[in-house]
Amino acid sequence: MDQRVELLLGALASSILLLIAGMIIFVLLKGLPSFTHNGLAWFGSGGNIDQQMMDIFNSPADPDSYVYHLRAWPLLYATALITGVAVVASTLFSVLSAIFIVEFAPQNLRRVLEPVVRLLAAVPSVVYGLIGILVVVPWVANHLISESDKESVAYVIQLDGTSILVGILILTVMITPIMIAIIVDALRSVPTNWVQGAAALGVNRWRAMWTVSVRAARPAIVAAAVLATARALGEAIMLSMVAGSVGFAPNPLDGFTFFLEPARPLASTIVDNAEGLSVVPFGQTLYAFASILLISSAFLSFGGWYARRSLSKYTLGAR
Amino acid sequence: MKRSKMNIAGLLLALLGLMTIPAAAAQAKPTITISGSTSVAPLATLLAQKYVKTCKGGSCPKFKILQGGSDVGISDVSRGRVTIGMSSRDPKPGDPGGIVFNRIAKDAICLVTNPANGVASWDQNLVQSVFSGGVRSWSQVPGAKQKGTIDLFTRTPASGTQDAFDKIFMSPKKVFSGASQKASNGLVQQSVQRDKAGVGYVSLAFTKGLTVGAYKGVPCTLRNAKSGQYGGLRSFYMVTRGAASGASKKWIKWIRSNPAALRIAASEWVPFK
Repeated sequence: MDQRVELLLGALASSILLLIAGMIIFVLLKGLPSFTHNGLAWFGSGGNIDQQMMDIFNSPADPDSYVYHLRAWPLLYATALITGVAVVASTLFSVLSAIFIVEFAPQNLRRVLEPVVRLLAAVPSVVYGLIGILVVVPWVANHLISESDKESVAYVIQLDGTSILVGILILTVMITPIMIAIIVDALRSVPTNWVQGAAALGVNRWRAMWTVSVRAARPAIVAAAVLATARALGEAIMLSMVAGSVGFAPNPLDGFTFFLEPARPLASTIVDNAEGLSVVPFGQTLYAFASILLISSAFLSFGGWYARRSLSKYTLGAR
Repeated sequence: MKRSKMNIAGLLLALLGLMTIPAAAAQAKPTITISGSTSVAPLATLLAQKYVKTCKGGSCPKFKILQGGSDVGISDVSRGRVTIGMSSRDPKPGDPGGIVFNRIAKDAICLVTNPANGVASWDQNLVQSVFSGGVRSWSQVPGAKQKGTIDLFTRTPASGTQDAFDKIFMSPKKVFSGASQKASNGLVQQSVQRDKAGVGYVSLAFTKGLTVGAYKGVPCTLRNAKSGQYGGLRSFYMVTRGAASGASKKWIKWIRSNPAALRIAASEWVPFK
């Protein structure tokens, strides 16, 4: 019986691995023509990406004259910018919130906070998108964007409220609850002797938490950050509603206006243009975007595993 | 022993009987699956509902209507995934072969602005300079109450409405690269409603809550669309794989000739002539 169960479980695990491998290979193969026609310049910048995608969409029907020319830098930059800033802000906020919940919160507050955090982690992202587009975007358009801001960039891009500021804000709100839940569990699993030993040496509560518990829970914090980044990378619908619907690389030299400029990350581009899949070169370009997302998720997982390995030398040994 | 055998035989017979019922039912009621343009979908839904109510005989079809955009409809029907595809744009050279575009109605594309801005009339030069980014401030647009920067709302590349707008209003100029590309008529309508400096183009059925401007001196109304005077007209098609046949042929013929169907089409669109 044991042998049969072992074989069955092994078969299930292998079938999942095969499924994932098959998915990656399928997406890569479908997106390959877009990479081979552009070479490494695919990742560079040059020209207006929306116009390039329109030209690909309007390719003639003859396979020899398909248009593939694309410079995807604005989309890659937007993805990295929005995901990176949101994850950094969320990690900071989550660690501090988790310390509060574990150590400093009064019992009644803790009893309310923990279920609320887990509830927030389960809210579907399209609800955040609706709140963003109905409440936050008009507020930003009416109160943060002044007429002189709009005029200063009028010939390059329009500022109508949908912006990377709103995107980063709502994305941070979206990924923080998961991180808080994971880090709270990790902080709780630090052996109490360690923290009590620090207290016995005369260290105050904050310092004991920060130097002992948080240090011990570093692998879990990295794991939470990797999970949050993976969710942020794949966030398509919410960002397509609130971060702007134009393929544009926001310019940091614009000062504060930089945050008010719209952008469109890779996942949102795929979802906005999914109707055009039937046009062959356009579909291959969308698959190329998807393969970039898959490869960066793979690198992310690998990077997270490597970081946790090096961190767990000094901690509980749990990975 | 005998009893259990009879029980098993009875069970098998019952199962067989149950299996034939859905088959018989399916033969009686054909299903017409439709996908495609978000502009044609409201009209198709009304026509399907009316047809189901008034058709006689056992071969009244069931309808399943999805959306997804003109290109999704055309590619779905060319691969046999749906019976009919809805398209709000004319056939392109890049379209798959073997499909037939059956026109059922015409529709007007209206230029809309926020009521706080209220641009009442457009000519082709003005449309081209505003949408191509040549003019970026409302203060340079005659008839505009706002004075600030213009916010453009257009459609994604796969949209039939966008295709018609580019061909009829914009050609040979291209739309401004910084314009916000929305995925449907409804999203353009909602964006222009919430942004005082917003301007966009929508199908005639999606103009509620917005100021509709006249084009080349002709207001964008249903009457002007029917008379053919309004300059921004485009056709709605039901696309079939090969010539229409069977239940779809009957339905398309009904749309084009039946007085009740023509009345439904005439409520917000230009019916087939």
